[in-house]
Amino acid sequence: MNLIITFFIKLRKLFFSNVLNSIISLIIILILFSIFFNIFGWLIFNANWKVVTSNLPLYAFGSFPANQQWRPATWIISLLTLSMLTLLGPEWKWLRKNLLLAWISTVPFGLYLLYGGLGLLPITSRHWGGLTLTILLTLCSSLLSLPFGIVLALCRQSSFPLVKKLSAIYIDSMRAIPLISVLFFGQLLIPLFLPVGIEIDRVWRAVFAFTLFVSAYIAEDIRGGLQSIPSTQIEAANSLGLNKYQIIKFILIPQALRIALPALTNQSIGLFQNTSLMAILGLVELLGIGRSILANPEFIGQYIEVYIWLACLYWFVCTIMAVLARHLEKRMLINQAIV
Amino acid sequence: MEPIVIAKNITKSYTKGLRALDNVSLTVNQGKVLVVMGPSGSGKSTLIRTFNGLESFDQGELNVLGIKINSTHDERKIQKIRRKVGMVFQQFNLFPHLSILENITLAPINVQKRRQREANEYGMYLLNQMGIDSHAKKYPNQLSGGEQQRVAIARALALKPKLLLFDEPTSALDPERINEVLDAMRRLAQQGMTMVVVTHEIGFAKDVSDQVLFMDSGKVIETSTPDIFFSNAKHERSRKFLNQLDKH
Repeated sequence: MNLIITFFIKLRKLFFSNVLNSIISLIIILILFSIFFNIFGWLIFNANWKVVTSNLPLYAFGSFPANQQWRPATWIISLLTLSMLTLLGPEWKWLRKNLLLAWISTVPFGLYLLYGGLGLLPITSRHWGGLTLTILLTLCSSLLSLPFGIVLALCRQSSFPLVKKLSAIYIDSMRAIPLISVLFFGQLLIPLFLPVGIEIDRVWRAVFAFTLFVSAYIAEDIRGGLQSIPSTQIEAANSLGLNKYQIIKFILIPQALRIALPALTNQSIGLFQNTSLMAILGLVELLGIGRSILANPEFIGQYIEVYIWLACLYWFVCTIMAVLARHLEKRMLINQAIV
Repeated sequence: MEPIVIAKNITKSYTKGLRALDNVSLTVNQGKVLVVMGPSGSGKSTLIRTFNGLESFDQGELNVLGIKINSTHDERKIQKIRRKVGMVFQQFNLFPHLSILENITLAPINVQKRRQREANEYGMYLLNQMGIDSHAKKYPNQLSGGEQQRVAIARALALKPKLLLFDEPTSALDPERINEVLDAMRRLAQQGMTMVVVTHEIGFAKDVSDQVLFMDSGKVIETSTPDIFFSNAKHERSRKFLNQLDKH
């Protein structure tokens, strides 16, 4: 009881200490009230959520054939389950050891479910879409750009001047080009360069372009990690007789990845949101499906509902990613040096 | 008596005129402990770092365990030497991302291609010898400085080296932690390990060493047995250094 009273006394001191303060406080409170009232009023009474509720399968799977939609659904559910297992999973050692493997194998598993074949009805990538496609683009691109980025970072530190120069030029030029132009390059120019008869799927061209772009940034993050490893670590490894490649594999990369982890999380969340650029280039991923639903005469003009819904979806997935990354950081902090 | 290290006229200069090592010659025999003393910047660390190729030199010849290296810094020969020579550093230099046992077994598994189980068993034996086997699953930053340095000694021993190099192994430790490391080194000397130790610990040098080598500005000023060095040093410069050490 006393606590509540002191709380109110504090509030009064803060906001109503004199006449001018009281007037300003009252005006601000009035404005806030009217804003909230309007927003909630609109959300509950005016908004027509039918544009969301009647199209849920479209948002999730795009134009995937209705009788096969259990396939992407299985994939998304398995991803969610794996996230929960990672976060809350018991401390069984074999489980912890195989988590990384499980995460990596979600990509071939998802691709099998989406493409079909081997007992499943084959479905071309033209029918992929919605949240499924967004997640697929993010997972494939980040999984491919991590090793590519590591190699680029190592090349940039190389003792061969040519290798060093080339990777520096690549990284600098990739960072000097806007992402959207790299994506245009992937979608429009790659088919022109390829010999007649060979065609790369549009989804893979997008993954390829994202990988080219993101790996340059990842390389710089990892270079920062590499540079912050003290040279005494290399001396110690040298004096144990480890060779160059063993030092890179056992000493440098594991430590650099740990140091670069927060920056890498940033990159993958950024990548997830940047996949929405593909909507402009004709892929019907999450934003793209929203635009095509809005083009339907039945739902014309209901921008606000659709975009609020999409924002919530993006927010939800990003939050899962952020929580997973924080969990990973915490686990790695246990065995980090406080040098 | 088999010589383990023979250095002949080793000279190294970082910049012109300033010599880090100036015509250094020495011999370390099997089972002997050589203590290297001298003021900071005298080239002690540089000297023992040439023994396993962490530093190159400009002139002279070095023979470590029958492998001869010279100013060309032949990587393959140096790699051979490193497999037979262990080194312990002032700042421990443990690998922070690996557990204590993994720190020790990394080189046996990957350099000597031993089996994991065998390496683990020998690693545990070494940790037991150092009195820290209960920490095997911990990580370096969970241990005190003295414990970390004993892990570093166990790591250096894991390759079953013929020669151990110590580069100021107690200089980064709290005073009350110094003895646990020195005791471990004493035990190694009693077991007949050949050691070259850079240190300022007079007590250790008096008890354990067979020879004391005193250096100043890259030159060997004198090489004596510890009895003579600490009671009746031949050289004026050595006496001055010892006087100053005593005052601290």
